[in-house]
Amino acid sequence: MAIDVIPVELMQVGPLELGIRWSDGHQSKYAVRNIRLNCHCANCVDEWTREVRVKSEHIPADIKPRKIESLGRYAFSITWSDGHDTGIFTFEQLRALCECEACKPR
Amino acid sequence: MFFKQKDTNEVNEASVLKALSNVQDPDLRKDIVTLGFIKNLKIKGGDVSFNVELTTPACPVKDQLKEECLTRVKAIPGVTTVNIEMTSNVRSTSTGGNRISLPSVRNVIAVASGKGGVGKSTVTINLVAALAKTGARVGLLDADIYGPSIPLMLGTKERPTQNETRIFPVVKNGIKIMSMGFLVPENQPVIWRGPMVHGALTQFLTQVEWGELDYLLIDMPPGTGDAQLTISQNAPLSGAIIVTTPQEVSLLDARKGLMMFQSVNVPILGVIENMAGFYVPGTDSIVDIFGKGGGARIAQEMKVPFLGSVPIDPQVTVCGDKGTPIVDAHPDSKVAFVFRTLAGSVAAQLSMLQAQASGNFKPMALQWQ
Repeated sequence: MAIDVIPVELMQVGPLELGIRWSDGHQSKYAVRNIRLNCHCANCVDEWTREVRVKSEHIPADIKPRKIESLGRYAFSITWSDGHDTGIFTFEQLRALCECEACKPR
Repeated sequence: MFFKQKDTNEVNEASVLKALSNVQDPDLRKDIVTLGFIKNLKIKGGDVSFNVELTTPACPVKDQLKEECLTRVKAIPGVTTVNIEMTSNVRSTSTGGNRISLPSVRNVIAVASGKGGVGKSTVTINLVAALAKTGARVGLLDADIYGPSIPLMLGTKERPTQNETRIFPVVKNGIKIMSMGFLVPENQPVIWRGPMVHGALTQFLTQVEWGELDYLLIDMPPGTGDAQLTISQNAPLSGAIIVTTPQEVSLLDARKGLMMFQSVNVPILGVIENMAGFYVPGTDSIVDIFGKGGGARIAQEMKVPFLGSVPIDPQVTVCGDKGTPIVDAHPDSKVAFVFRTLAGSVAAQLSMLQAQASGNFKPMALQWQ
């Protein structure tokens, strides 16, 4: 399906907290570590078995992005403080991961 | 009691702009004064001259707009002569992009199909040639690394020149061209895995000196794999055109190609149906060799614009093999007319996109503190 909601602003709201403002006006909040744990790249999720290889205990408590940048028109690519940079985080995925009060109790 | 009555027939800027504000751009659905098309307005007594600056030299309604402007301004009392020059300034819909930005290229368009053999390259060279003929500055990137056909179809075997950092595209009939076909001998296959294809395409996008272009068309290979991902993740795409033939087996793949672009949020400029019916020579009857109406059907189903159908004409193939697109070789033919109309529609779609917020996608970057 075509993507109808896209990010219009990307902001760091705390040392470990990311904010995204969306084209529909919604404001998302994220603990950045939670985004890292949801990485779908081939290193983190097995491409054939879908086994999740990224384990919470392997990810430092204070992990944070070094750089976040648009990838094409549909996703962000994030380089993390531990050097991991193969993840592609689509707008759809990020919207679904929103941890704001309205979205959280789903 | 004589006093000079104010001359109500005086022609002034306000009255000319008021008259022109009745002229609508049918694609952008606004009047041409609001759109800022009127430039260089000069009034000297009853002589009025101005430029109408369109958003594309390939504007399909250029003549109609000129005629309408002429009629409206001539109707102003006191106007004796009207001189209108139609100019254009193509506006940008290219996204910039973090990885690869082509700031001097205003619109980047992928021409894709899903299925091979539907005539993508044929459609692409004719669209490019038709756009070039309108005076637009155009480029063509052949993204088919394994089966580059653009050099043959545009009749050039030149090698691109280069200096230490930049590669200069081959120029033929005003079209700037880059293709793998320029770099490897014609009878030598390119036997590469995906990462090499990615590398070559990235190099074409970053190191080729395209210069100022209004439209850069990318002739995509069939499929939804490495090349498509590289282009949609890295090229600052304005939109994509999907080419299909009318029969179901082609629609099946066209649908997938279309969905791929939708899933990476690249606007679909529209569907072009190629090989749509064959005009029996010397008659007006059409034989629907590959079926009928498939292109329009898929466009409707996927809620994207249907740009038009290109009939089968053996001349198209002959011209391609000889290295001259039919729009140049036989500009008076029915098919050449169809291609010119399609080029105008593509340009119009881009202008419309530019006028919408979604056509102005801006890439973002955040450096974490």
